[in-house]
Amino acid sequence: MRRLTNIKPASLVESVERLEADGTRAAVVGGGTDLLGMIKDNLTPAEVLVNLKGLRERGSLDLVETEAGGIRVGGLVTLTQLSTHPLVTTPYRVLAEAAGSVATPQIRNVGTVAGNICQRPWCWYFRQNFPCYKHGGDRCFSRVGENEFNAIFGGGPSYIVHPSDTAPALIALGANFRIVGPTGERVVPASDFFTLPRVDISRENILEPNEVLADIHVPLASGLRSTYAKVLDREAWTHAVVSVALALEMDGDVVRRAGVVLGGVAPIPWQPEAVEELLAGKRVTESLAAEAGRLAVDGARPLSKNGYKVTLTENLVRNTLQSLASEP
Amino acid sequence: MDSVSRRAFLKSSVAVTAATALPQTRVSAAAQGRDSTPAPAPQTTITLTVNGKRRTVEVEERWTLVELLRDHLQLTGTKIGCDRGECGACTVHLDGMPVYSCSQLAVWADGQEVTTVEGLADGDQLDPLQQAFIDGDGPQCGFCTSGQLMSAKAIVMANPDPTEDEVRQGMTGNICRCSNYNRYVAAVMSRPPERANRLDPLDTVGMSYPRVDARERVTGQAQYTGDVTVPEMLYARVLRSPHPHARITRIDTTRAREMPGVHAVLTREQCDITWSSGDSRNPRYLFNNPVRFVGDPVAAVAAVDRHTAEAAIEAIDVDYQALDFVLDQEEALSSGAVEIQPGGNLSPRRDGERLPEIYQRGDLDVGFAASDVVVEETYVSKHHNNAQMEPRSALAQWTGDELTLWSPTQGISNTRSDMARDLDMPPERVRVICQYMGGGFGNKNQSQDSDLIAAVLAREARQPVKLELTRKEDFLGVHGRWPTTQHYKIGASRDGTLQAVQLHGYSGMGPHRKSGGGIAGIELFRCPNVRREVSPVYTNMSVSANFRGPAYPQGVWGIESVMDQLAHELVIDPLDFHLHNLTREYNDETPYTSWALRECITEGADRFDWSNRWRQPSGRTGRVTRGVGMAIGMFAARLGRSSAVLRLEQGHLWLHIGVTDIGTATKTAMAQIAAEAMKMDFADVTVVWGDTDRCPYSVGESGSRTTTHTGYAIVKAAEDLKRQIASHNGSVGDQPLIAQATPEPTIEGMARYASAAHFVEIEVDTELGRIGVVQYLAMHESGRIINPLTAESQIKGGVTMGIGMALHEELVYDRATGVPVNPGYYGAKVMTHLDAPEIEVHFIEPVDTFGPYGAKNVGEPPIIPVVAAIGNAFFNATGRRIKELPMTRTRVMEALA
Repeated sequence: MRRLTNIKPASLVESVERLEADGTRAAVVGGGTDLLGMIKDNLTPAEVLVNLKGLRERGSLDLVETEAGGIRVGGLVTLTQLSTHPLVTTPYRVLAEAAGSVATPQIRNVGTVAGNICQRPWCWYFRQNFPCYKHGGDRCFSRVGENEFNAIFGGGPSYIVHPSDTAPALIALGANFRIVGPTGERVVPASDFFTLPRVDISRENILEPNEVLADIHVPLASGLRSTYAKVLDREAWTHAVVSVALALEMDGDVVRRAGVVLGGVAPIPWQPEAVEELLAGKRVTESLAAEAGRLAVDGARPLSKNGYKVTLTENLVRNTLQSLASEP
Repeated sequence: MDSVSRRAFLKSSVAVTAATALPQTRVSAAAQGRDSTPAPAPQTTITLTVNGKRRTVEVEERWTLVELLRDHLQLTGTKIGCDRGECGACTVHLDGMPVYSCSQLAVWADGQEVTTVEGLADGDQLDPLQQAFIDGDGPQCGFCTSGQLMSAKAIVMANPDPTEDEVRQGMTGNICRCSNYNRYVAAVMSRPPERANRLDPLDTVGMSYPRVDARERVTGQAQYTGDVTVPEMLYARVLRSPHPHARITRIDTTRAREMPGVHAVLTREQCDITWSSGDSRNPRYLFNNPVRFVGDPVAAVAAVDRHTAEAAIEAIDVDYQALDFVLDQEEALSSGAVEIQPGGNLSPRRDGERLPEIYQRGDLDVGFAASDVVVEETYVSKHHNNAQMEPRSALAQWTGDELTLWSPTQGISNTRSDMARDLDMPPERVRVICQYMGGGFGNKNQSQDSDLIAAVLAREARQPVKLELTRKEDFLGVHGRWPTTQHYKIGASRDGTLQAVQLHGYSGMGPHRKSGGGIAGIELFRCPNVRREVSPVYTNMSVSANFRGPAYPQGVWGIESVMDQLAHELVIDPLDFHLHNLTREYNDETPYTSWALRECITEGADRFDWSNRWRQPSGRTGRVTRGVGMAIGMFAARLGRSSAVLRLEQGHLWLHIGVTDIGTATKTAMAQIAAEAMKMDFADVTVVWGDTDRCPYSVGESGSRTTTHTGYAIVKAAEDLKRQIASHNGSVGDQPLIAQATPEPTIEGMARYASAAHFVEIEVDTELGRIGVVQYLAMHESGRIINPLTAESQIKGGVTMGIGMALHEELVYDRATGVPVNPGYYGAKVMTHLDAPEIEVHFIEPVDTFGPYGAKNVGEPPIIPVVAAIGNAFFNATGRRIKELPMTRTRVMEALA
């Protein structure tokens, strides 16, 4: 492994200063699991590791707590914490289920929610260091290559899919992200956080290299009924082939507001707004669920080897919606 | 075509050691008086508690936690299987939580509490889980065991009474490639294994003793090759080709040689040693030019530490002229295909003729003329990796002109002779040691190039050299199962009698012929007119060779699928079709020594309740549909030469055998045979193994031969020892007695085979494309079972591995660049705890008068029928067949579309 320097900033502000000073040589460490693998495989130039584990604010950043209007989840909260925390499991089941579906217990024990949201792609070509767009190259190898797991929505010029499980859940819940940077902080809706390759090919979100995703604010919702359904290619430790995060705010058996976000199908968590609009104000019947499934894949543009994902997505959305609505 | 940049190549190349010859012409950097110490990397002092003891250590900030534990604190019970957080062998507790220690930097653990497998026992008092793992036969090869234990410990610490599902969930981050998942889960649940014998056990043979070395395997004390260190040891890495086929036009090692801390650099220019292990029919050099597959070794270095070796590899500049390449085995024989080896892409037969391997009897024309129904289908199986938990490694040390090699091999004797041959030295100057090894499933047969590279680097550097392949290198640079294209045409008459069987097949061997490359399975059926023509073909994929039951699982999948289809078209229950057309004599001419395949089928069918569960496939109904399938298999249980030495001293028996125990409980079974033969207590036998200086020749642990070969040698040596005792009138006193035997038993005019019949029920989620195994029953005949406990573990593991082959595993290649895109456990999607169903195992034990106490073999048979059984169950459930492996969700969805 290349020579690494481990920096232990005392505060978030200091972290940001280090990121600013070291530019692309620097990387933020939350859990560090994926970052270390990427360093070993030369997928990132990072050699200055700004380790947030020792921050003064750690006590706040690895905490889940109630706040006015909802809960606050620190960016350093581990996926294990998130999937088992009583403030999360019952009211925000979709988030707990998403966090609990990530990789393996060992990874969830150190992997943080911010790290999961900011994860780099797991496209085979990216991970094998093909000189693709994401590595500064001039093409997307998956477009005509082994694209079984690549995008059916939002692709071009890169066809990666976003690997996060928690991100679709957070978008469905209408969460906001607090970002700390050199000039202070900003709060953005989770749904505005992610970036399509046609907007910026070099990254998957709006985070500047000198910014840190500090914490997450999840709003209260009344009558919330939610779930995360993930299709894996073995029973554990794969990223979503396709996943769907559903968050339905119910008035009795009528949907007041629906959050529907797909994972594994697009370079960003994919929000089929037409489906959300379709569901609002209606009772979820079998035929409505079927229509939602069909609408969810409206406009899908599969590649040579991932046409099955269109059917899979339609079926998953329909079935998940139906079973969520029919729960007692 | 040069679509992968050199930068990408360098960056993606895996580090490994390699070295080669001509030490007289090379002067190492150290010998030239250069600074031999690399510039220091950033360091820091950390304090952590390790297994209850507070330690303050100076660490490089780039060290991973597992690197600190293994290399610097000598806690080698924690293993490295992938170094990428994909396998779990490195699992330790960090502040009480299981984590992958390969994926944490040591500096990040500052101030924290680390517990490793060495911290589980309290002195000699094992943790109850360790004892449960021993009693329940948890460890097979044992390489994953410490990680499994740490995850299990975390589960019971949080909840002393977990459910079975909670155990699977909690351990699912720990892969066991021996696939002993049933045993691990049962051990954590404190559910003792059931032990059933068919034949009455003898005194020790037939008894379920725990493994003789189980304690070492559950305490982290078992020493694998990577755990061995010697003074002045250097670390090696190998530079590998990023191209599937290219000529090296320039290679410049200047920068690497001048790096402080680098002691040896080797390329083809300095090393023309050929590696001729296995079956290579064209010379295979340690470093080849042209390079012929992604992962082909180009250069190797030895340096003072891992990181310097890796940096040196990256400092070697190579210019490649890309050549055309071909990946597909059938396409490689087409007229336009690039020639990969001189003389063409059809690999020559042993006699040197460039002709396909052909077997035939009868007359196909007659057979098809007599057929009422003919099925013509093509099946395509893929390259997938052995993926044993322990990556290939080697440690080479020269003392004068004598070489000591520590290597995780399936055969110390053949590794010694292979090394001596390739290094052109007398075998007696080579010592091979393998105390423990972490699985192989065929890719640790013979010596590997890593052994030679370490040896030549060590000779060059005049210091011992350790080479440990990365997981990616192990996937690309060692070998996996050969992919096949199988064109079948099979005919039967209306009454269900087979009339003609034709197979025209192609096996992709990669650019070197390392094994046979056959497609087996036709011999399972009786038929008067048969023709099999198989072409082993050179391609630019990774090299293919032995992987558990080498030619069978893919061949049996093909032939059993066609037979199932034929039965369907004849409207016959496949069970009846099998019973009607089953082999009675090998290739319809050679009688079997004992034959219980029919009994496997009939008893298995009864136990499975086949007659009530099988129905004609009627197409899919509903979202989740179920189906049942069956398939059979056989595997040769040959007899042959091996040796054993027995030493009786003061009432204790020392058994010297040159075995390594790949995870099959070989040592235990051999000790049982010795105790039985000598009518001694099992506890009075000590096995001496795994060292060519201390053990006689043994056949390699390949071909499932150790029990029949070496076990038989023990029986014969015991006969001699008993004669010696008798000549002392039974009273030997303190007189040490030594007996040895090297029998070479043969069977004239008979064939000896183990048999199996498997029955499976699956469910298919037709909307989400998932195949799930509902019930799996494996009926086996392996002669007399020496140790039911460990034999059953092997069957369970072999079946589970076969399910992975059926559903998940393929080394996928990018067709445009010829580069594999998914090497490693994550990409191969090998089975996890959550994927592994409970496998029900039953043995039929016929009386067979050959072999030790009538024993046959257990290791390879269980994987043979699995893919076919699942494929046939899928047809039964859905009315569709998937004719290309693996049967992934994608292919399921496409088949049902």
